[in-house]
Amino acid sequence: MSRYVIWAIAAVALVVAVIVLEPFFPSQKASPAGPAGLAGEAAPVFTLRDDRGRPVSLDRYRGRIVLMNLWASWCPPCRAEMPDLQRLADSYDDAAIAIVGVNEGESASRAQSFAESLRIRFPIWVDASQRYGRTYAALGLPTTVILDRRGVVVRGYDGPLTFDQMRAAVASVVQTH
Amino acid sequence: MIGSVCAAVVVVAAVAVQLVLPGQSVYHAGWYNVALCGAVIVSLIAGRRELRRVKAPRVRWATIGILFGTAIVGFSGVLSGLFAPDNQTVVGAPGERIHVESLGTLSFPLASIGTSATSVSLERPLYGKVEVGERRSDAGSFILRAVQRNVAWVEARDPRGNRLTVTQPAGAAFLSPVLLMEHRQTIAGMELPFDSFNVPAARRVVKAVLFTPAQAAALAHGLGSSGDAAVLLAVDDEKERPLPNAIALSTGGKAVTVGGLSLRAVVTQYPAVEVVAAPNLVATVLGGLLVVGGILALVIRPVLSTGDDRSNVSQDDAALGKLDPSRR
Repeated sequence: MSRYVIWAIAAVALVVAVIVLEPFFPSQKASPAGPAGLAGEAAPVFTLRDDRGRPVSLDRYRGRIVLMNLWASWCPPCRAEMPDLQRLADSYDDAAIAIVGVNEGESASRAQSFAESLRIRFPIWVDASQRYGRTYAALGLPTTVILDRRGVVVRGYDGPLTFDQMRAAVASVVQTH
Repeated sequence: MIGSVCAAVVVVAAVAVQLVLPGQSVYHAGWYNVALCGAVIVSLIAGRRELRRVKAPRVRWATIGILFGTAIVGFSGVLSGLFAPDNQTVVGAPGERIHVESLGTLSFPLASIGTSATSVSLERPLYGKVEVGERRSDAGSFILRAVQRNVAWVEARDPRGNRLTVTQPAGAAFLSPVLLMEHRQTIAGMELPFDSFNVPAARRVVKAVLFTPAQAAALAHGLGSSGDAAVLLAVDDEKERPLPNAIALSTGGKAVTVGGLSLRAVVTQYPAVEVVAAPNLVATVLGGLLVVGGILALVIRPVLSTGDDRSNVSQDDAALGKLDPSRR
């Protein structure tokens, strides 16, 4: 049997062994739990209504960096974080960065009165069926997700952020995306 | 030669059965895998002896094909039998993504009350995305199938009708109003699916037990079964201390008011994914084709070599007399 045939058989055997053995040697790379695990994936988009009943969607923010904050009125850290989110929104041009608050599982009236009590002016959406919470793998509230201009998840944070942390997170996305 | 071919056929048939009827516990049994290894070894030893003896290239190549194919199929079958994980059912909430070791990521479809979902997406690196439906899907060394499970969609409102957030701190998807009912609880001698959720805004914990229509009918008359599946809702305070008069049965998606909450539960079906290990499909098909091709190469030529051509049959082919029908 020629040497070439032996090499060909050995190569086929190697390929077959790799195919068969591959499932038994899983990748050691573990994706992080929670919203950070979505980094690099296209952000799922659904149509919701805002706190005034108008249909809204993430699609309309393509071309802008989006900071999306999932919150609920009963959540004390969410309440503490809201004024800082408004301050961040005030410090950036609306055409470059959009900040959106997505209320999880509450009524539009509750979300609206909460936002008004804290003088929040950035858009508030109402996700009554909590789809954003599940899809963005929220481990708790608040959860913050930053999307780049193409609508791809860049960063995800579980728990409250300070103003400096928010600003640093957004600044790094502005510089790199 | 006949011993090698017979052992090869046994190996291919056994592993093909593993593919056709996957998930049987016998495939993981020691005796089964020892027997499969034995058949492979018999085939290899008999085939090697044949290789030493014959000189005709056609017979040699056919034998090599059979041996090589038997080794591949047997290796694939034994590896699956000895090392593959046990059967599992992956249960996820709508919108949830679950990574399954050695397989990929299962994405559960978004659905809401009143809409149905029957398939789940599987994403595997290098292989792309496939939909796993009720018919079996082959995914390398696994076979997947979507199965419908009973789940309950729940909704909580305060006494003024404001909708409240439902969370599941102990659930796979924290912010999910879908109860996957993965736990079991015994009530009145019945083993029942059980789950729980929190309503943080009202500082309440709600336990939910699912009854099929038959079980609901078998339950005490006072609960008023209507022929629908039912969900028994028990409301506790935030420290999980039971509240007085805070147990009610929700049937047919009707709201019940207990423990200061208006609760509505709708029983519906949502897919889970059965994951069963099986011999690698590509390797098994490749190996099987080599074995079948080798056997055909051994059989067809002597069959064609009849009549006047019989004189052309080589001495090596004559050694295959047992496989040549024309010489019986």
